Amino acid sequence: MTRKTFPQWLVLLMPAIIILAAVVLIPLVFSLYSSFTAYQLTRPESLWKWIGTFNYQKAARDPNFWAAFGRTIVLLTIALNVEMLLGLGLALLVSKVTRGQRTLRTLMMFPMMFSPILVGFQFKFIFNDNVGLVNNALQSLGLSDVAIPWLVDAHLALFAIICAEVWTSTSVFAILILAGLFAIPQDPLEAAKVDGCTPWQSFRYVTLPFLMPFIYIAMAIRSLDVARAYDIVKIMTNGGPARRTELIWTLIGRTGYVDARMGYANAMGYISIFLAIGFTVYFFRKLSAARTTLGMGD
Amino acid sequence: MALVKLTNVAKRYGSVAVVHAINLDIADGEFVVLVGPSGCGKSTTLRMIAGLEEISGGEIRIGDRVVNDLPPRERNISMVFQNYALYPHMTVRENLGFSLHIAKRPKAEIATAVDAAAEILSLTPLLDRKPGQLSGGQRQRVAMGRAIVRHPEVFLFDEPLSNLDAKLRTQMRVEIKRLHQKVGATVVYVTHDQVEAMTLADRIVIMRDGHIVQIGTPLEVFERPLNTFVGTFIGSPPMNLVAATVRGDSVVLTDGTTLPVPPGHAVQDGQAVELGIRADNMMPEGHAMPPTPHMAYVDMAVSLTEPLGTETLLFASLSGAEVQAKMLNPRPVRAGERMRFGIALDKCHLFDAATGATLRV
Amino acid sequence: MASNATHRLRRRMLATGHFIGLFLAMTVICLPGLWVILNSFRPTVEIMAKPAIWIPHELNLEHYTAMFGGAGEGGVPVITYFRNSLIISLTSTLIALLIGMAGGYAFARYRFRHKSLIFVALMVTRAVPGIALSLPIFILFGRIGIIDTHFGLILVYVAMNVPFTIWLIDGFFRQVPKELAEAAEIDGCTRWQAFWKVEFPVARAGIASAGIFAFLTSWNEYALASQLTRSVRSKTMPVGLLDFTSQFTLDWGGMCALAVLMIIPAALLTFLVQKHLIAGLTFGGVKG
Repeated sequence: MTRKTFPQWLVLLMPAIIILAAVVLIPLVFSLYSSFTAYQLTRPESLWKWIGTFNYQKAARDPNFWAAFGRTIVLLTIALNVEMLLGLGLALLVSKVTRGQRTLRTLMMFPMMFSPILVGFQFKFIFNDNVGLVNNALQSLGLSDVAIPWLVDAHLALFAIICAEVWTSTSVFAILILAGLFAIPQDPLEAAKVDGCTPWQSFRYVTLPFLMPFIYIAMAIRSLDVARAYDIVKIMTNGGPARRTELIWTLIGRTGYVDARMGYANAMGYISIFLAIGFTVYFFRKLSAARTTLGMGD
Repeated sequence: MALVKLTNVAKRYGSVAVVHAINLDIADGEFVVLVGPSGCGKSTTLRMIAGLEEISGGEIRIGDRVVNDLPPRERNISMVFQNYALYPHMTVRENLGFSLHIAKRPKAEIATAVDAAAEILSLTPLLDRKPGQLSGGQRQRVAMGRAIVRHPEVFLFDEPLSNLDAKLRTQMRVEIKRLHQKVGATVVYVTHDQVEAMTLADRIVIMRDGHIVQIGTPLEVFERPLNTFVGTFIGSPPMNLVAATVRGDSVVLTDGTTLPVPPGHAVQDGQAVELGIRADNMMPEGHAMPPTPHMAYVDMAVSLTEPLGTETLLFASLSGAEVQAKMLNPRPVRAGERMRFGIALDKCHLFDAATGATLRV
Repeated sequence: MASNATHRLRRRMLATGHFIGLFLAMTVICLPGLWVILNSFRPTVEIMAKPAIWIPHELNLEHYTAMFGGAGEGGVPVITYFRNSLIISLTSTLIALLIGMAGGYAFARYRFRHKSLIFVALMVTRAVPGIALSLPIFILFGRIGIIDTHFGLILVYVAMNVPFTIWLIDGFFRQVPKELAEAAEIDGCTRWQAFWKVEFPVARAGIASAGIFAFLTSWNEYALASQLTRSVRSKTMPVGLLDFTSQFTLDWGGMCALAVLMIIPAALLTFLVQKHLIAGLTFGGVKG
């Protein structure tokens, strides 16, 4: 007797596959196609004008593009690493608390409740040179008597954006790592104490190897949302002033919607997609590897 | 001079005391077993000696140092945990050598020590495996290997055999005893299994509800229990206890059966007592040990039998209480069969019914 | 080797340092949000005052009344935006949950080839930056004519939420012992019945939290919403917030008030969900 029906798992996964194909795959294919055309929103017939890799070459030669690209990578790398370290530190601090754990954990989740738009707004408010909390505090404490242009100067603005980004997502790291810390069996840690480890050595040889899967989960999850930085930047500086804080995404948004150069924008978009996917796949691989070393593989 | 000395050591969680001021001296090279039911405080005491729990009161000395506030790594001890606590991401070799690695000993020295320990515990073929690939007994041996690699002053064992199946447990027990004979170290061993305690210990410390109830050699606690708790805890099957009253120089059971007062006891007329009879001291005529100078005889009906091969356990009823007796050179026994049992009074005990304390002098 | 006293001292210093560190961290975490909430209650005069006024002299609700007045302060239709956000988020969440349950169950209970490959593929779709995806979707939806509709946005949000929902629900189903369903089948249930009567109720709490997470993602989303909506017909709150910035470039108080309005549902829901969220993420993620 042959089974002509689909395997059950496939049936269950079908709706997911269908909707993702429709909403993500097809547009992506279309985007790929249009990146090889001179498509402009204002002249719809230009969709059929094939220009090969011209858009990509143009991007490669465009200094604005590379500036934005470089800036994006710098932002992401700094932000992710800082978030991880701070998150780790925070998790360690919270894990040692005996009473009031639940309250602390809830407080820790505070930043996660905010839409990135709100976070951007919050920090735009705080870093504003006139009414912002930071400048007011600095002036009240007598540490400065000028209005520091946090959101205008190129480096300061990037710093402010990184602050916002780190503020948003350190919690995600902290909470996941905290969960990891609680999942660690206590016995090897006690054995390490008896074996002669200082607290730092216990951490390095026993705790950290256990934590790696959790750290990678956190990185993987963060890498999925990496483009949410767009929301923050859009509202804090909108890539300005004068492109000083332009990230790859604000550039794409502007080229596509404001300048209406869709083909070009799609080409840049594709590059950013590969960037994001690269980050994600990298971390998922590391996650699998860490799981198998701990003997927890599939 | 004691190697480990506990003076009035206590442990409290908030207002709840789990260990009440206990005093214990352990000599160099001695194998001391802390035994008792769950929650009696034996593990807590061990962990206080190790430095894994803070001491709420009293003083602990190891060697000639007071170690109350010292962290484990400065107490020169090693420990075998109930769940082995091996490092899952390290190989057996790395697990064994870890403590020496932390102590920054030269690589050659670590290798020699690890190989020696592996040799003693038959772990050599497993050195490159990870704990996840080992069986329970093998992990146990790695845990022990990790402990002996360092040559500390004191070895601490926290119920190391509880997670093994029965057969493996008896095997490992022998290995631990052999190890102790070879290495000759001071050992503090915690278990809830009185058989382990009896077979391994130089001295047994029986604990209950955070107090030490009796300290003695295995034979001492077996033959001279200080109270009903020790009497029933040590020995398998557990000692039978039958309620009785003293009348003159006899003890009268609740159903009227009269037996002479077992020799060596100080009693008062009218005193309410409990008569403790071990199964080995109550055997049917013709299937018993040679009689002792003071014997008494009772008739009982057998309700249940448990044949063990060389002997059979008989369940019977004495004065309304269910008792267990042993039968040597057994033959089949029918349920309900009445038999005549000889009780060796010299080996029996009388306990005060109110306090449970022994009435032996 | 240090003495007992040194160790006692060291322990106490560590405890103090620990406390201070924790206090600082919590302050940094809570401060921005609290500052915004506080300022939504302060009159504009105070907010703009120089030198800065730290202790509020006066607290009132004028920003809130202005905001809900709608027609008054430049007419930002806050209520409409709220309603749009609510409808879109709820609908997309429900659909995403259904699809997610099916998918999550498939990953949790079945073995099949290329399982991890398919899983990563699903996750990767989520990695596509919203703005890069919005370009082609904008064009395609424009062609089909579903720009500025609830339907268009719902479609996109479902697709956005499905991967993560599957991940979470996969984790929750794995925590339900297989034996439960097997016992139910022995007791006479079909697989379908066993699922609804036994496995689903046990995983219910986790599934609810996956739903809340999906809701929050939709509620807070900006990049796609900003391009796929045009008018009050479908604009959601995040997009609406940006309305404020162009109209009230200096009305910090008003923006703070709207921010508070957006935060409240999100905060409540996040609070409800935190425990399960962590459990689902870690189990689903770590144990594959």
